[in-house]
Amino acid sequence: MYRFQLVLMLVPYLAGLALLYVVPALLAAGVAFTDFDALSPPRWIGLDNFRRMLQDDEFWNGLRASVVFVVLAVPLRVAGALGLALLLYRSCRGVTFARAAVYLPTVVPDVAYALLWLHIFNPLYGPLNGLMVLFTGSFDGTVPGSARPTGWLLDPTAAQIAVVVMLAWTIGEGFVLLMAALQDVPRELHESAAIDGAGAWQRFSLLTLPLLAPFLLLLAIRSTIWSFQANFVAAVIVTRGGPYYATSYLPYWIYLNAAEYQRFGYAAAMMLVMLVATGLIVALQVGASQRWRAASVA
Amino acid sequence: MRSASIPDRRSLDGFGLGTGAEAWRGAVVRAVAMACAAAIFILPLVWMFSASLRPPGLPPPIRFELWPPEPTLANYSAIFGLLPLGRYALNSLTVVTAAVPLTLLTASWAGFAMAQLPRRVRGPLVAVSVMSLLVPVMSLWLTRFLVFKWLGVLDSLLALIVPAALGSSPFYVLILYWAFTRIPAELFEAARVDGCGAVRIWWSIGLPLVRPALTAVGVLSFVYYWSSFVDPMLYLSDQANYTLPVALRTLQQLHPSRWSLLMAGCVVVTLPVLLVFGLAQRHFLQEHRGSGWLGR
Amino acid sequence: MRHGSRARLSIALALLIASVGCAPGADRFPSSAATTPAPTSAAAVPTQAKPAAAPANPDAAAPKPASSAAAGRPSGEISYWAFGDAEELAIFEAVVEGYRRHNADVTVKLNIVPNQNEFMTKLSASFTAGAGPDVFLINYRRYGQYAEKNVLEPLEGRLAASSSLRKDQFFEIPLKAFTWNGTLQCIPQNQSSLVVYYNRDVFEKYGVALPRESWRWRDFLDTARALTKDTDGDGGIDLHGLAAEPTIIRAAPFIWQRGGRLVDDEEKPTRITMDDPKTKEALRFFVDLGATHRVSPNEAEYKAEGPDSRFMRGKAAMTLNSRRAVPELRTIKGFTWDVAAPPSDAESATTLHSDAYCLSAASGNKAAAWEFIEYAIGLEGQQITARLGRTVPSLKDVATSPAFLDPGQAPANSKLFLELAPKLKLLPILAEWPAIERFMNEEIEAAFFGTRSFDEAIETANRKSNEQLKR
Repeated sequence: MYRFQLVLMLVPYLAGLALLYVVPALLAAGVAFTDFDALSPPRWIGLDNFRRMLQDDEFWNGLRASVVFVVLAVPLRVAGALGLALLLYRSCRGVTFARAAVYLPTVVPDVAYALLWLHIFNPLYGPLNGLMVLFTGSFDGTVPGSARPTGWLLDPTAAQIAVVVMLAWTIGEGFVLLMAALQDVPRELHESAAIDGAGAWQRFSLLTLPLLAPFLLLLAIRSTIWSFQANFVAAVIVTRGGPYYATSYLPYWIYLNAAEYQRFGYAAAMMLVMLVATGLIVALQVGASQRWRAASVA
Repeated sequence: MRSASIPDRRSLDGFGLGTGAEAWRGAVVRAVAMACAAAIFILPLVWMFSASLRPPGLPPPIRFELWPPEPTLANYSAIFGLLPLGRYALNSLTVVTAAVPLTLLTASWAGFAMAQLPRRVRGPLVAVSVMSLLVPVMSLWLTRFLVFKWLGVLDSLLALIVPAALGSSPFYVLILYWAFTRIPAELFEAARVDGCGAVRIWWSIGLPLVRPALTAVGVLSFVYYWSSFVDPMLYLSDQANYTLPVALRTLQQLHPSRWSLLMAGCVVVTLPVLLVFGLAQRHFLQEHRGSGWLGR
Repeated sequence: MRHGSRARLSIALALLIASVGCAPGADRFPSSAATTPAPTSAAAVPTQAKPAAAPANPDAAAPKPASSAAAGRPSGEISYWAFGDAEELAIFEAVVEGYRRHNADVTVKLNIVPNQNEFMTKLSASFTAGAGPDVFLINYRRYGQYAEKNVLEPLEGRLAASSSLRKDQFFEIPLKAFTWNGTLQCIPQNQSSLVVYYNRDVFEKYGVALPRESWRWRDFLDTARALTKDTDGDGGIDLHGLAAEPTIIRAAPFIWQRGGRLVDDEEKPTRITMDDPKTKEALRFFVDLGATHRVSPNEAEYKAEGPDSRFMRGKAAMTLNSRRAVPELRTIKGFTWDVAAPPSDAESATTLHSDAYCLSAASGNKAAAWEFIEYAIGLEGQQITARLGRTVPSLKDVATSPAFLDPGQAPANSKLFLELAPKLKLLPILAEWPAIERFMNEEIEAAFFGTRSFDEAIETANRKSNEQLKR
């Protein structure tokens, strides 16, 4: 009876999983093997979409840009969240304000956040440029000694870094997670270790870190998934895939194919590939953490 | 050994290990680091606000200005004149008022239930939930469109609220599931023995113990429903139902180079979220000795 | 206790049922439930005039018969979708209101999406789900795939049978843009051309001759150079002769004027021909405006502030744009401005910008939808639309009337748009055009700002564009 009541409580969520995730995902997976432009019924073409993908420069460019982004962003985000959590997890005066400040950028709505950074990165009138002028004293859009005008959105490499930077401000979620995890570490353990003569670094690496490990892994996984998928708002609003395709991440290219070119079959095929790529990286992370845990126990 | 209840201010490194010069230095360094971190993260928002106060007629800024020369609220009245922002705000509010409680309800139900079901049921459920999170949201737009059409909720605000009635997102369910698993099973057993039904146990015993997680889900879902742009844009066909983020995009089409106007729009869209966050943050940004938001 | 928990459970079940059970998702015929659209209420689910067209259904194109079948005036509900910003929204609403006075039995549900790309997404998603609009506005550059897939109800016959409109009352070239396989698919609402907007006061201040009607490329370049100045002696350029957007729709007139082509066959394009020698010459001229002569803002300046904004602040003497810019430019107070024809070369030509009203083949209430289109595209509807100033009417009578030519409003030389009408040329109408356009724009921009060499850029653009066509 009790079990049945529990199941009933589960029903809305199960319905949601089915209707909003499983069914659409399966349909989308099916569409990946068709040629579908939403105006006529899907036409089965088997693996053609995937063959086309292999020869599509934009796809490879997008994949490369996305992987580079993930490789840059995930360690930064995890390390940043950890650093901030270590800094702010203990109570003291003003820490509440600092914690709120760190979390604040995450609550800004996506579109507003992107527009804000479009303004910040403005090559001539943005506050970032203003800061540079303050330090270098020159204003003509150039950094002294360089021939080309700089501007985060003008240079391909700078633009990629700009997107990483822009999204670095949103590590609040991970910070909260790690902070809660740190607070769960019993104080007694720290205190007895300190009394036994362990220094701060030893306490951290031998005591705190292993206890944090599962949360770090969770954060790494979540950051990876998020980094693979979420930078496309930035690509659409801030960089528009530029300059010259530098920030045309895979989700952006998929978005263009689905939303603007109406090639839903092709887009679905690329999403399948993206899903597999994400899954692979996550599996690698889990595997690496298992190995590390086994090694540290031994 | 000092007990855990002595406030930290007495022990500068937090562990009651002394008040020597080194500890003082450590404290100062920490304070400075804290202030810097806070300043860095607040800065973009300050810029957003200050840019929104810039008078529209001025030439664009070429020096660093933290505060505009003649701050004015003219941009705010301008955007309210350009777009029916009041109506859009009302729509956003409607969606959020319906969706957040619904999410808390259904997600906590699901988390509660999952935490108590036997492992062989729980395991696959958690696995499916995690895998659902892996699926890129973009791939679901079109097919969800079909689902909503089948449900008949296209073209009204219901299309935005229905996901809330179904748990909103596996992420919230997982957070609450995790929180519920930290509650010792004995508490639930005792209540069952007393003859309470599942819902009663959920309400009187489960919920109070997961309050931080609940608050977190509340804030996260508020932010999600308030900021969602793609869903209203895709699923709503009536102008009058549009929400604030869509208005922002409209504003951007209208005046792509009028930054002060756009920033004013951004402030209007962001402010309510900041307010809600400000009110709720004590519940999940504070330390919780004994039962952190992960439960204990 | 038990009572309380049971109550909660039943609420929960009720919610569940409400969200899933009572939604047959059935096709409702528009006339059977002419409810007025519910504005902001979250609880109201207005009935939809959406016929079924499930993607797997082979006869997706077959429309369901409208059961209104009322002899005489059409009635019921139709949906009308378009894209536009807040100002255009007011005009769309005015047209709908005007139509309502014309026939109060038909309710028009209006939906405006701000951004054209998002509009296209929504349009196609809706068509898939069988929830597409009855009437929609679409740009000729994007309508290729819709025409190809028989989603549109050709309007040639209806126009011929119309008692209030005749085909010859419309300008020819936009009509051609929306003709597919010899049949008119949609009826154009506007026919703007690319023109040169210039700041009269700046010309007079520096004693530079105003653009003449038949000015040539050389004159254009000389004018732009004469008006590119460093006015405060700090080494940076404060006034640019031209604020150009380095995109293919701005460069296209130059291509046609030199006698070049973008595609091998205008009627049935199969190949992009950016490597055609004359095309390359023309593009070289356009690209050199930025890369060599620097009469246009550099990359940082361009990305910091768009050409229209620059022109409006008086920082650019000329800019290239279509009629769309007019309402915004009318807010300029500091100087007078006007329009001039684009400079000519071997020929004179300019780009067509045109949107049209289309009727969906799957519409459930074609009679009402056509009547609405007739109104919107007719005298009254076009006069309302002309008020904003953003479009050049496609109906000759309205275009030659004060509704459009209004001498009291800038630009004084509005009749230029009419004079240019015979010189309009179409961009290629291809299903793959949006993808091709993006590749072309990236390369033209790179060459314009000097980050890629011209030859490489053109070669890449041509190659990538043709790859799209091979799909």
